[in-house]
Amino acid sequence: MVTVLGTHPLGGAQGRPWKERVLGRDWRMAWLFLLPLIVILVTLIAYPFLSGIVLSLQHKVIGGPATWVGLQNYRALLFGDQYGALFRKTVWISLLYTGTAVAAKLCLGMGSALLLNERFRARALMRGIFFLPWTVPSVVVALTWRWVYDGTPSGLLNLIRIQMFGSQTLVQFLADPHLALWSVIGVVVWQGTPFYTMMFLAGLQSIPGEQYEAAAIDGAGVLQRFLYILLPGLASTIVITVLLSTIWTANSINFVYVLTRGGPVNATMTFPMFAYDIGIAGARQLGMAAAVSVIFFPLFVVLIYFLTRRMLAPEAQA
Amino acid sequence: MTRRPAPPPGAARVSRSLRSGLRRAVLIGGLAMFTVWTLFPFMWVLETSLKPNRDIFVEVSLVPRHVSLQHYVALFHQSEFLAYFRNSAIVAVSTTIVAMIVGVLAAYAITRLSFRGRAFVANATIVTYLAPPALLFIPLFQVAYQFRLTDKALGLIPIYLIFSAPFCTWLAITYFRTIPAEMEDAALVDGATRLRSLLSVFLPLSLPALAVIALFAFTNAWNEFLFALLLIARDSQKTIPVGLAQFIIGDVFQWGPLMAAVLVASLPPVLIYTLAQRWVVAGLAAGATKS
Repeated sequence: MVTVLGTHPLGGAQGRPWKERVLGRDWRMAWLFLLPLIVILVTLIAYPFLSGIVLSLQHKVIGGPATWVGLQNYRALLFGDQYGALFRKTVWISLLYTGTAVAAKLCLGMGSALLLNERFRARALMRGIFFLPWTVPSVVVALTWRWVYDGTPSGLLNLIRIQMFGSQTLVQFLADPHLALWSVIGVVVWQGTPFYTMMFLAGLQSIPGEQYEAAAIDGAGVLQRFLYILLPGLASTIVITVLLSTIWTANSINFVYVLTRGGPVNATMTFPMFAYDIGIAGARQLGMAAAVSVIFFPLFVVLIYFLTRRMLAPEAQA
Repeated sequence: MTRRPAPPPGAARVSRSLRSGLRRAVLIGGLAMFTVWTLFPFMWVLETSLKPNRDIFVEVSLVPRHVSLQHYVALFHQSEFLAYFRNSAIVAVSTTIVAMIVGVLAAYAITRLSFRGRAFVANATIVTYLAPPALLFIPLFQVAYQFRLTDKALGLIPIYLIFSAPFCTWLAITYFRTIPAEMEDAALVDGATRLRSLLSVFLPLSLPALAVIALFAFTNAWNEFLFALLLIARDSQKTIPVGLAQFIIGDVFQWGPLMAAVLVASLPPVLIYTLAQRWVVAGLAAGATKS
């Protein structure tokens, strides 16, 4: 491609002043345009990030002075008597919560995308309906479900049990330690599935129809066509969707905060809730809370690394 | 997708009609299940918001017996809901405008200008966009205190730029890449400056895409909860998500007005996404939302 530029009619690296050779042709204007973004990235992300690492090495209570304690916060979280057991429980619950929710969203999202990919009347309407939960703010979704799960005869699920199935007991969906985590996961899945549906549907529609038809004519069954044509065609969409969703699901505090606040007896204590609890709400130990985030950080670095490579792929080709 | 019927060799015809019947049954059954699963919470919200308290708590029934607007009246007259709504609108609109300006300038530089460090800035943008704010919320809480951003709705705007600015930049990059360079080069040859060409060639071409990016940025800010929760304690300064989440913390569970609030608070994003759904789906593929 020949680049013709009004500002440099002569072009050619030799003719340019040294600054442009080293910093690039448009460096002045480029950095000027990037300045606002860079200010934001540095002051609001790089600075808090570094100060978070520093904070995790300090003993600091909100409003109080900071004292340097080295790795003591990490030791207390990983091996300590007071927080050790709770922190390990938090790790396990975060994994269970994220893993189950992502797996369920993946299955339901695939199922609903395959349904919507069929041809039938009112397809646009159905698509709009399937999409709805994802458009509602997550706190609002959580409030709605708190009312659906309500442990009195006024809550929808208990009401249905009583009036339609003649049940005599009330189920405490959010207050029963054995049920609470699954109830919260149900809400996460309800809201998160449409994202998968839409991503997969877009992916399905980009798979050329001829391939699929040819396989059908050759006598491939539904399952075979799914496994050998649709699934490989969707592979990259599936990877991106799952990675994005894993990052967001694991880090979201909204559902847990509104539905259970991490309770009952820490049965739904995911790590952002735990960091909030010891940093802001309860013990007000900012240093310890910062350490919680730092411990989880490497995991997300790995996820983000793979995701970035996937998402920047078009640029690599250009 | 059209299904051309393959020449059926005799007996296969029976199994074919059987299979198409089965296909229909699976399709209808599946769609019905998903529809019920999706819609029942909405129905329950609507029903609760229209039932008088007596029907909610005392003589509960699945099918509503009386309809009343009392919860809506209570919501607008006896609660701070209008203040929450106004705060949310101001914060979300301002965040969107600032983030769009920052994002468009940066994306233009990254896609169209040649300078050292371009790849690094592009990478930094996407990494910061993907980095979850929950990892940063403890130190950010401290930073917000240092900058005195707490307890006022407007203080949320700079905080929200953390995710909306890299987000708008990244989406604008993915779109700007699709605009052929020749269009702009022609303007530059004619003697237009970079800024002029950005304003007169680039922006008009990408206006529809930018509108969708702005919608995403708006709803992300409209829905944000964690930082609003951390930074705002004064009732008059709360945004909708925090205001509603704390509706419930009070002594009495005001489910009627709360469900009315849920309905009203969901309307802006639901309308926006439903109307713009076709474009939204394309934006999703670029990783367009955090929720």
